[in-house]
Amino acid sequence: MLFQFESVTKTYGSIVALDNLSVSAPTGAIGLLGPNGSGKTTLIRSLLGLTRVDRGSGQVLGMDFRRRQLDIRRAVGFVPEDECLFPHVVGVEFVAYAGELVGMSTKDAMQRSHEVLDYVGLGEARYRKVESYSTGMKQRLKLASAIVHDPQLLIMDEPTNGMDPRGREDLLELARDLALNKGMSLLFSSHLLPDVESVCDQIIVLGRGKLLTEGNIQQLKQLHQRSFEVRLKTDSRPFCDRLSALGCRSETREDFLVVQIPDGRTQQLLWEVAAQEKVQIRTLRPQRSTLEEVFLKALEQA
Amino acid sequence: MPIFDQGYQHWKGPLSSHAWRWFAITRHGVRIGFQGRVFRMVLLVSLLPAVALATALCLWGLIERQSDLVAGLVPILVSFQFLGPGVATDPKMYRVEIWTLCFNLFFSIELTLSMILIVLVGPSLISQDLRFNAFPLYLSRPMRRIDYLGGKLGVIAAFLGLAIIVPCLLTYGLGLLFTFDLTILKDTYRLLFASVAYGLVIIFVSGMLILALSSLSRSSRWVALFWLGIWLVSGFASGALEGLQVAQRQRAHFQRVAEIQTKRPADETREERRRRVEAMRADQKSRVETMQMEQMEASKTDWRPLISYTANLSRIGRQLLGTDAAWQKLSEMQPPPMRERFLAQWLGPQYPWYWSAGVLVGLFGVSAGILSLSVRSLDRLR
Repeated sequence: MLFQFESVTKTYGSIVALDNLSVSAPTGAIGLLGPNGSGKTTLIRSLLGLTRVDRGSGQVLGMDFRRRQLDIRRAVGFVPEDECLFPHVVGVEFVAYAGELVGMSTKDAMQRSHEVLDYVGLGEARYRKVESYSTGMKQRLKLASAIVHDPQLLIMDEPTNGMDPRGREDLLELARDLALNKGMSLLFSSHLLPDVESVCDQIIVLGRGKLLTEGNIQQLKQLHQRSFEVRLKTDSRPFCDRLSALGCRSETREDFLVVQIPDGRTQQLLWEVAAQEKVQIRTLRPQRSTLEEVFLKALEQA
Repeated sequence: MPIFDQGYQHWKGPLSSHAWRWFAITRHGVRIGFQGRVFRMVLLVSLLPAVALATALCLWGLIERQSDLVAGLVPILVSFQFLGPGVATDPKMYRVEIWTLCFNLFFSIELTLSMILIVLVGPSLISQDLRFNAFPLYLSRPMRRIDYLGGKLGVIAAFLGLAIIVPCLLTYGLGLLFTFDLTILKDTYRLLFASVAYGLVIIFVSGMLILALSSLSRSSRWVALFWLGIWLVSGFASGALEGLQVAQRQRAHFQRVAEIQTKRPADETREERRRRVEAMRADQKSRVETMQMEQMEASKTDWRPLISYTANLSRIGRQLLGTDAAWQKLSEMQPPPMRERFLAQWLGPQYPWYWSAGVLVGLFGVSAGILSLSVRSLDRLR
């Protein structure tokens, strides 16, 4: 188990940041979703032992998060959302310093710093002052400094904010590689659902400090019983008109149709209409919810 | 993609215990500090007083041993009044006093150099972390606020220790070697402890103050200016107030002399004039002595030096080192009428040392309060 919270409550004055939250997450890549003010950052800070919760108990990597904060932070790497730097150092010193702060010896930290900078693609910028790095480079630098001590759990808080598409894709690729190929558990907090979907296999959705939904992304994106994705070889207009006459609702999306059939009918109807209209169906499959739909549905239930 | 060429390797090396986490910050700060050329030069210059102290103690050791190497030097020192005749005759009698005054002089110079070292290295310690928002990076690692502050204070301690305490220890050892007499250890061990204690007072009080100032602004320049203000302006203000008080006392004195002079009778004979001038001179001398005595007496309750930051440190230093007692003993070599003048010339402010201790403890407390408010934990809403 990556972490487990039992009835955790955290308030800041009259604001309830975490409201009797009970959640558990298995090892792997976990996406942390929620609108602004949903408690994502407080949850992350609680995991790291940076905030003192009012009530509740829990464990992070098998350690009591209320008592063993320093041990937890040693086993965790954290990429903060804000732009933050150790000033007046070059890249390789930055990462080595981060390693020393965790307890690595100077020699180990420097050697490891070179390795992880190569890994995140900053090898050629390692001797440049970090103040001169671009936003994307700074994010990768923070990632390098978070993994310099090879943590069991990597927490990334809005890591792709403000990045250009290429830099964003590079960072997601790194996160994916760490989570899928290198055996590092990942807690990935982001507003960008495609980012979460491309990296994580599990999600936790928070709203107003409460758990709205959690689980495997593929399972949450359930199959629809009466909604189908249809891709045709020819013009789809006569096919759609015919379906409308039979009580179906169709909607064009990119290069395919989403067709909802009425109660009591099966997908056989689509084949029959295609035969009648003499159009060729190239793909027909049940529609699956998008992560956005899962997310919005969870918010509606709150 | 090229960024995956090197791959990622797991690492299973040892990690040091949490107790030493602050040391990483100190080590990093010292590394950064040594990168400044001006700072390196000032640090080098700050070692010169130590060289002078070592030279003085070695010379004294040779004088005590009445070495041939300094046989020709002693009369010269006596003739230039660097050494009193009594001291030259029986140097061992004045061993503690000479060592004390040497250390006191070393510290008075080193105090100024320490202030310069602090202004070069201290302002950026926290202000730059504020500017570049480095706190989340520190506090998300196995580190508490106290470790962070301890590490930053360690940077000041490392540099000031290098400029003050380490030279003290080395020169003390060198002085022992040159004296070649084990009784000196018994005579002067207190001075060694006092020097280390005074060095620690300078380090902790000044270190906390510069850290507190550094935590108040994101601009190191403003912090440096603020520090200079506290150091120099407080010194000037204190000096000006003291000067004003002395000038007032002198003016009152000369006003009285002028009144006497204007009371000259019109039909005065030569003999009467001679007697009057003699009486006036005697009176003036007595008034000067009275004024000096008054000055000495007033300095026991004078609060004006308390305004000066360095004067407070200096007062504690004099108390720890026993400087006043050393001057008292040396004054005994003076003829009795000259002793008061000698003491008035060499003794510093005589107000109770615990006044200065109170001021410094207060500053330490204020600094700690500022730091606890400025270097906040992440247990708060953004």
